[in-house]
Amino acid sequence: MRALTANRLIDGEVVFWKAGEWVERFADADLFEAGDPRAEAAEAHGKNQPTVVVEPYLIDLIESEGLWAPVSYRERIRALGPSNLPHGKQTEGGAAIAALLHAHGGARSKGRVDLIKRK
Amino acid sequence: MYQYDAIDRDMLADRSAEFRGQVARRLAGELNEDQFKPLRLRNGLYLQLHAYMLRIAVPYGSLNPAQLRKLAWIARTYDKGYGHFTTRTNLQLHWIKLRDAPDIMDHLASVDMHAIQTSGNCVRNVSADPYAGATSEEVDDPRVWAEAIRQWSTVHPEFSYLPRKFKIAVTAAPKDRTAAKTHDIGLNLKRARDGALGFEVMVGGGLGRSPYIAPTIRQFLPASRLFSYLEAILRVYNRHGRRDNIHKARIKVLVATLGRDEFAHQVEAEWEKIGAAVDLPDDELARIRGAFTPNSFETLPPRSEALEAARAATPAFARFARNNLKPHKVPGYGIVEISLKAIGETPGDATSEQMEVVADLAERFGQNDIRVTHEQNLVLPHVKLDDVPTVWAALAEAGLATPNMNLVSDIIACPGLDYCALANARAISIAQNIAKTFADPDRAEKVGELKVKISGCINACGHHHVGHIGILGVDKKGEEFYQLTLGGSAAEDAAVGQALGPALPHDKVAEAVDTLVDVYLRERQDGERFLDTFRRTGVTPFKEAVYADAH
Repeated sequence: MRALTANRLIDGEVVFWKAGEWVERFADADLFEAGDPRAEAAEAHGKNQPTVVVEPYLIDLIESEGLWAPVSYRERIRALGPSNLPHGKQTEGGAAIAALLHAHGGARSKGRVDLIKRK
Repeated sequence: MYQYDAIDRDMLADRSAEFRGQVARRLAGELNEDQFKPLRLRNGLYLQLHAYMLRIAVPYGSLNPAQLRKLAWIARTYDKGYGHFTTRTNLQLHWIKLRDAPDIMDHLASVDMHAIQTSGNCVRNVSADPYAGATSEEVDDPRVWAEAIRQWSTVHPEFSYLPRKFKIAVTAAPKDRTAAKTHDIGLNLKRARDGALGFEVMVGGGLGRSPYIAPTIRQFLPASRLFSYLEAILRVYNRHGRRDNIHKARIKVLVATLGRDEFAHQVEAEWEKIGAAVDLPDDELARIRGAFTPNSFETLPPRSEALEAARAATPAFARFARNNLKPHKVPGYGIVEISLKAIGETPGDATSEQMEVVADLAERFGQNDIRVTHEQNLVLPHVKLDDVPTVWAALAEAGLATPNMNLVSDIIACPGLDYCALANARAISIAQNIAKTFADPDRAEKVGELKVKISGCINACGHHHVGHIGILGVDKKGEEFYQLTLGGSAAEDAAVGQALGPALPHDKVAEAVDTLVDVYLRERQDGERFLDTFRRTGVTPFKEAVYADAH
């Protein structure tokens, strides 16, 4: 499973793709099955919105407590907020946040690695 | 401290207006991200994991109360009410919105501050001894020279596109509190036997991917010739630095490749060509020096009865005085170190309220002077010993009286993966775990001086290479792992640490540090610091203990 993420240009907020819009909660993001071409289509759409978001890329997900969570720790921190202070989106709590907090390990997102390679 | 003149203020106003226009053009789509990124970075604005990060320059770590109050206000108004002091003695705000950044620049300019040259391949914020003007060890006030370098290097057209970033530190005492030998240029002010002032010039230190301790290329440069010599160094670097490979672009690689003698030879040849015309005129030096005229100190007895009474009556104060109060050059005064390393908190972080408390104390008891150290702490350099108990009480109330200067919980840590887009692993949580492991202040004092430095990636913002215990976060197949090094030092006995062994998982690091400390306490001989014991015994006993389970 995959999701599309970026940072919003005007404030740097972490955002996720949902039905043609950018939303702030990972729990609201559109999820794409492996091989679903809509993922790449959404990414291409995001890249054509340079005044809305910066550097959209696809992230890989794993199952956690019956929900989905980003595979990479980096992406979970982006979706939650920093681990040293109760700031950011983790303050909302609930099952979706708990699933992110309890997810484990995994590799870096391929989408992010591709982005770094392109630079 | 130095006061901006009309030229400085006009330049800041221009830069601020220019940046406002650049942000507007970016938001309107007239600039794309590739075009805008180098412009925002020139104003210290990064895009990190959760938001934009603004890195505000604190020249040679020196702040007045009005500036610190303004930083507190900006953090409260535009951020989440705190800031992070860095190893470059800057302040980073981690939750900045692009739309607010132009207003923030204006507010900074209103107190003679900015974020220029806190990023990019230019001469970065110059650092200096945080005890400048207060310690009897110094041969001259290093701030005078750091300020002159600041003026010389700010928007210097020839040095705005160097092969890579460039960092300069100035110290004037035998005890190095600036990590001078890890800088691109480290300057150590000295006096010759005839009283003449000069610099020991060290070039080509650096951390990051390939750590180097700077070799000395000139033992004694007459102080009056500093700027032509700096220009010669930067010209040789600008000409031969490896612009083709970012990993080899720092001056340290050039110096190491050419060898110290050949590099020095090329600098001397260039210096001869430049001549003395670009050196600082005496009247300009005098003008700058005038801004750092010695404070007016009262004539006081060296012993303060109020301080001694508080020591005797309050063990917690006595502990603070033992660890955080340092000798001042003037009898009856002291240097008060303010730890930003409360146990379990984020190293280098200060809330807006804490910044305001420090600003108030500097105003009431500290001659309006505040310093930021490269070890991510604050200093009130001029406090009457009689006032130290009152200052301590106010600091304690604000959570700022942790008595752990130079002890194991006085840890340098970069923001790491909690904030930074470059990081591979967290650094803050490792620091928090280690500090909690050594929360017992008696044990921490028994251990004595122990410099733990943590970086969340190989860029080494947390100076791990030069920690007595250095900790580097790495990414092993997406998991956080940590490589430990031992025996590094950033001080006058600078050294790069030696690898301990295979990387450890996140939850084993504090335990491993605990084990290392136990080995040290077992092995140490009369008065040795951790570093001294390590240097005597080598890595073996430490390695055996930490990896005992693996055998």
